[in-house]
Amino acid sequence: MTSIRIRKGYDINIAGTPSCDVKKLEKPTRVALLPERIPFIKPRLKVKVDDQVNVGSTVFEDKRNPDFIFLSPGGGRISKIDYGPRRIIKEIVITLDQDEGYKTFPMMNDAQLEDIERGALVQMLTAGGLWPLFRELPFRNIPNPQSFPPSIIISLGSREPFQPLPEVYLKDKADLFEFGIKILNKLTETLFISASPDNNFVPDRLNTHVTHTCEGVYPADDPGVLLYYIKKHPDENRSWYINGQDVLLLAMLFKTGKYPVDRTVVLGGTLAREKKHLQTRMGVPLNHITKGRADDTGAARHIVGGIFNGYTGSKDSYMGFYETSLVLIPEGDEKEFFGFARPGFNKPSRSRAFLSFLNKSSMAMDCNCHGEVRACINCGFCAEVCPVDILPQFTYKSILADEIEEALNHGLLDCVECCLCSYVCPSKIELRNILKETKKAYFLEQL
Amino acid sequence: MKFIQKIFDAKRKHFVKGGRFEKFYPLFEAFETFFFIPGNVTKNDAHVRDSLDLKRLMSMVVVSLIPPLFFGIYNSGYQSSLASGLPVTFVAVFIKGLQIVLPVIIVSYGVGFAWEVLFASIRKHNISEGFLVTGLLFPLTLPPTIPLWQVALGISFGVIFGKEIFGGTGRNFLNPALTGRAFLFFAYPMKMTGDAVWTVVSGVNSQGVDTFSGATPLAVSAVQGTSAFIESLLSKAGFTLPKLFYGLYPGSIGGTSTFMCLLGALLLVFTGIASYRIMIGGILGVLVAACPGYIVRLVSGNSTVPMLSLPPFYHLVMGGFAFGIIYMATDPVSAPGMNVSKWIYGFSIGALTVLIRIFNPAFPEGIMLAILFMNLFSPLLDHFEIHFRLKKRVPNV
Repeated sequence: MTSIRIRKGYDINIAGTPSCDVKKLEKPTRVALLPERIPFIKPRLKVKVDDQVNVGSTVFEDKRNPDFIFLSPGGGRISKIDYGPRRIIKEIVITLDQDEGYKTFPMMNDAQLEDIERGALVQMLTAGGLWPLFRELPFRNIPNPQSFPPSIIISLGSREPFQPLPEVYLKDKADLFEFGIKILNKLTETLFISASPDNNFVPDRLNTHVTHTCEGVYPADDPGVLLYYIKKHPDENRSWYINGQDVLLLAMLFKTGKYPVDRTVVLGGTLAREKKHLQTRMGVPLNHITKGRADDTGAARHIVGGIFNGYTGSKDSYMGFYETSLVLIPEGDEKEFFGFARPGFNKPSRSRAFLSFLNKSSMAMDCNCHGEVRACINCGFCAEVCPVDILPQFTYKSILADEIEEALNHGLLDCVECCLCSYVCPSKIELRNILKETKKAYFLEQL
Repeated sequence: MKFIQKIFDAKRKHFVKGGRFEKFYPLFEAFETFFFIPGNVTKNDAHVRDSLDLKRLMSMVVVSLIPPLFFGIYNSGYQSSLASGLPVTFVAVFIKGLQIVLPVIIVSYGVGFAWEVLFASIRKHNISEGFLVTGLLFPLTLPPTIPLWQVALGISFGVIFGKEIFGGTGRNFLNPALTGRAFLFFAYPMKMTGDAVWTVVSGVNSQGVDTFSGATPLAVSAVQGTSAFIESLLSKAGFTLPKLFYGLYPGSIGGTSTFMCLLGALLLVFTGIASYRIMIGGILGVLVAACPGYIVRLVSGNSTVPMLSLPPFYHLVMGGFAFGIIYMATDPVSAPGMNVSKWIYGFSIGALTVLIRIFNPAFPEGIMLAILFMNLFSPLLDHFEIHFRLKKRVPNV
């Protein structure tokens, strides 16, 4: 086991983080797929409204690569297909039957897994709809099933305050996880599993599989950060990664022969009354999660997928394919009288410009920008927190000047999209978004 | 609070698009955001943001300027009372100081702000908070006798040619306050140099005026053709090392007291707003540049060039070095952004300051020119450091 110390990053001291308690939710009445939240795909629908689907029936596929198929997370009737601007498919809603039908997939035991060819295994995973769980660095797209990854990274542990903790989702699942690791070992020769050094949450027998311990603050657990620290050669840039919880899904597909829809999600944020882990399923409505567990959901911002990287949902939207976190915090659109001159005992800040540096308790935060956009004054705060040593203050200027080559030299593609640069910027520049959009444009140009 | 908000809400219609004063929206915006942190929320990811904004950041710099400012007010009054033979009670001196300094600050802020509004209105962007600092730094570098029209002229030059023509705050490569001061320094040397400018003499009471010389420590030190050690000249003139450190002697309004500047520096470094690398680099630069001459003197036992043989510590406390390295050199926009570059930049400023003091008899003080000179080099320093740093990365393209 190699231990790595991540030198930079930042842990926000935010109130409303979830506890480790787990609660099982009842069955929802409907679930949905959100194609627009899956990066870099062009969905082609395979169903129409009022079609009957089983759990595991194909709902849509990617036009560019039809191997990427997305299966129905529920059995029932397609009740609504919601289009957005320029006919982007936003939601495919499935009203669940009382008794859901299941499409069956081939099952496998350990011995069969030993013998199977890699190509056949990949074929089974793509047919089982789980291939999109793999993501390829640096663009975080879904990798081509025909390609061979330099390595696959599984990251256990979460420095992001609102992601499910491995100690919860791995509980009593050690067998499944080990089976998942066997599957991944078939796909690659180098499998990295990282955990934080205080990894007592990982069951003992899984500890032997951990290859790296990453010590440090957010985003020390990001696979991109681990890769940045361990890579020796440009070839390794195109490594794949998969979420720890999703490894269980791979195993479940082969163990149960059914498309796995179970998810452990987290409900947190100051406006949530019950801040805990919830066992539910993929694509549930947000109000199914918040019902009875939050006070005033009307005034809250529903952040799906994490406080830094998530998207803004609403009461009526759904959890996505990848997202396992729902945070409810106040919108914070009130003006604050003489805000800049207050001592700020309760104003969280990385700098010590507020008295909050004395306040060690976690602080409530809202979505206010706490200031207006100004020109960059080259304070360098962004570079101080960037976990992969990009210099966002210089890189974003080269992007604005259309010097893409220079931005790439700066390590633009190493960006792990952790959002810390946007978070700390006193000029409130959307640094992360500028970097991310440039990466995206660069990727689309290569297609 | 509600009442002030109502005033703003009532007047807003005149300033938004289509209103009577549409052109002056930046002015309205500046005033409104002075009273209220706006309610704008994050549009997308990084849903939460740090509480620190530019207004707070610049306010902290202004707060850190309070010690030298108040000391400067007191000192200006004190020197003036001393020179004029007036009683030196605390209150009387402070009021006298206010009479001298306050008009300078008001003119500096007023005129500079007018330019900011003009440029913001034409360019249709908001007024940046950087001017809060520039408008206060500039008067503190001036002699107390400065005519107010020169203050207006200097700040105008600083704001327009030091900042706005390059695109405003964040895009200037020179420190605007020092640009303004350099302009006055070269355009009106009579008002910026010499022994007479550093003390306001008014309401003269004949007693005690005879003994008044008005010379600054640097002027005393720059005396040519003497074989005496400067520190004995200085202490003969009343400038002992502690006095130089605490700063109760004639000089620019805010720049005399190293002690007060250090108080400000503590706040700036603690809050993480100014770079300690530049400050410590500057001090090292002074010590290293001043040492060889002093060592020669220690070895040979006499001094041929008096300034060259001055003990290095004197350079730190004389003139405006402390004020310059703490408040001017650390301006993040005109300083380099990279860490090693900051050390080099600070070091070079310190060394150049000493070299100018020693070898250039035309300029008794060197810090202003040293900072402006190194401002020009900071993009280059950054460029090279980034270049070397990027070589170490595993390429990812």
